[in-house]
Amino acid sequence: MTFRLLQNFKGGRAIIVAKCSTREVALETTLSKLGVSSEYPDIVGGRVQIDVARLQVERDILFIDGDLESAVVIEVDPASRLPPVPVIGLVGVEAPSRLKALVNLGATSFLRKPVHGGAVYTSLFMGINQFLLRSEMYRRLHDLEERRRGRRALVRAIICLMKSGLDEDAAYSWLRRESMRARQNLEFYCEEFLSGRAKSPDDFHRTNGVELQGGNKRAM
Amino acid sequence: MFSTSGSYSVVARSMLNGALLALRELAEAECGVALEPIVVNPSGDLARYRTLSLELLGDGIRHVVGCYTSSSRKEVIPCFEKFDSLLWYPSHYEGFESSDNVIYTGAAPNQHVLPLVDYLASRVGRRAFCVGSNYIWAWENNRIFREALAVRGGTVVAERYLPVGETEFDQVIGAIIDQRPDFVFNNLIGTSAYAFFRAFRTACRARGIDQVTDIPVASCTLSEPELAEIGPDAIDGHLTSSVYFSSLDSPANAAFIEAYARAFPNGPISSADAEASYIAVKLLAAALEQAGTEDSRAVRAAVANQRLAAPQGEVRIDPQTYHAWLTPRIARSARNGQFEVLLEARSPVGPDPYLVQSSPRFAVAMRGPALKVVRS
Repeated sequence: MTFRLLQNFKGGRAIIVAKCSTREVALETTLSKLGVSSEYPDIVGGRVQIDVARLQVERDILFIDGDLESAVVIEVDPASRLPPVPVIGLVGVEAPSRLKALVNLGATSFLRKPVHGGAVYTSLFMGINQFLLRSEMYRRLHDLEERRRGRRALVRAIICLMKSGLDEDAAYSWLRRESMRARQNLEFYCEEFLSGRAKSPDDFHRTNGVELQGGNKRAM
Repeated sequence: MFSTSGSYSVVARSMLNGALLALRELAEAECGVALEPIVVNPSGDLARYRTLSLELLGDGIRHVVGCYTSSSRKEVIPCFEKFDSLLWYPSHYEGFESSDNVIYTGAAPNQHVLPLVDYLASRVGRRAFCVGSNYIWAWENNRIFREALAVRGGTVVAERYLPVGETEFDQVIGAIIDQRPDFVFNNLIGTSAYAFFRAFRTACRARGIDQVTDIPVASCTLSEPELAEIGPDAIDGHLTSSVYFSSLDSPANAAFIEAYARAFPNGPISSADAEASYIAVKLLAAALEQAGTEDSRAVRAAVANQRLAAPQGEVRIDPQTYHAWLTPRIARSARNGQFEVLLEARSPVGPDPYLVQSSPRFAVAMRGPALKVVRS
């Protein structure tokens, strides 16, 4: 899967976590030109009322006012450090502690308060696409980590085949060919092979097609 | 504020004429506001645009009609924001902008480049060669064009950018003739465009190629005064997408053309950008009259939903984007220096400066060939 740049935000929903008394009119107006609706969730007892489980990554963008003290508690994936949807920080007091809090919430872009209409498109574009890019990078990293862990099975499978008489290159080639035939990645196939669920070279020779004598076709 | 000298002065002078004609008509009609024009010429120099804007706004002027290139508009917008004044921008442009301090009376990309892509892909071909002046207009208009063409199954075989004012095109023209695209998409402006049209026609003729039929050139910029600059040898057969052509057959346009010709007998003749300047001044006057003040916020509020029976047909300002509802048209230039309209929208089309309604959600990548044969 490759990263695709999102450039049309039509149908998006901005959830703006800020005090209603300090509504950012320029933000709402510009978002509406970009086809993005705006909502201000209630803040009760200093905590914003958002059902994080109902957020939709394809639609929702969180704008979080960094000047609100701990108003938002969202689950940031501990491994990827990504929030469930893109987060854009609204920066008033430009202090390291407040910027750090926004970074910890997974903010991938920022807007200074009061918001200037001319800055919104850039911030939205960067915020969403950085989120998508980081999500894609994390998926690839996760995949590579899985494969790295599986290298042990590959080494063991090669040693196992070498014990049956194949040399190192032939053992690797056989495993690679059979994993492709099984449409599995090499490391996963080796785990299957070691657990006895995949066929051994002997099985392969037994079950392989019978060569027809005098003909050009292989019986299936 | 128009660059009546410099590489794109022909269009800019027709824009100034359009604005002055509107002022003259407003004075004759004794409308409720008296407008006194102050004319400045930045000569196509970006730094001059900024200096002149600061001088005008510093002197208390709150409304400026002007700019042709997007680079000049982007250069002066911070000045208008600083003084909370309004720039009335009367030219087609590449979109992706919506400043609170600009009223856009020219066409947005969904009103010029997208109708052109539809026309070219359905009637001319799907292999394009893009040329343009090296600044934001050509970069962005080509990007929109490329993505829209890709969605319709077409490809851009090459893109070439040259400095504004460049008139040496041998290498680019050689590349075009080698590639043999179905058409050229041109985003060159001013003297560069005129030189390109002449040189391309000459090069095709020398190779026995019927340029108009075999490799037509399509633009979103080319206008009547520029056809005159290209000259008789290469004036015909060029496709243009625009919201106004001086050949439009309507009483409103006939009156405009007659008044324009009477006011400016020495030219340059009228153009889409001249009409957009005319519209900008008429809307400015109407908004000032309704607002009863020159305060920019009040005038901006008053211009929303203003309607005008313009030479191109009805024009109104969209209250969300402060761009205009305009009528897209496709035309082909003729030997008489006019455009023959081939297609037109049935009614004015709303502006979509960010292409929210008319572009795919994700950026479209131009597909390479499924099979590539490489000679080793």
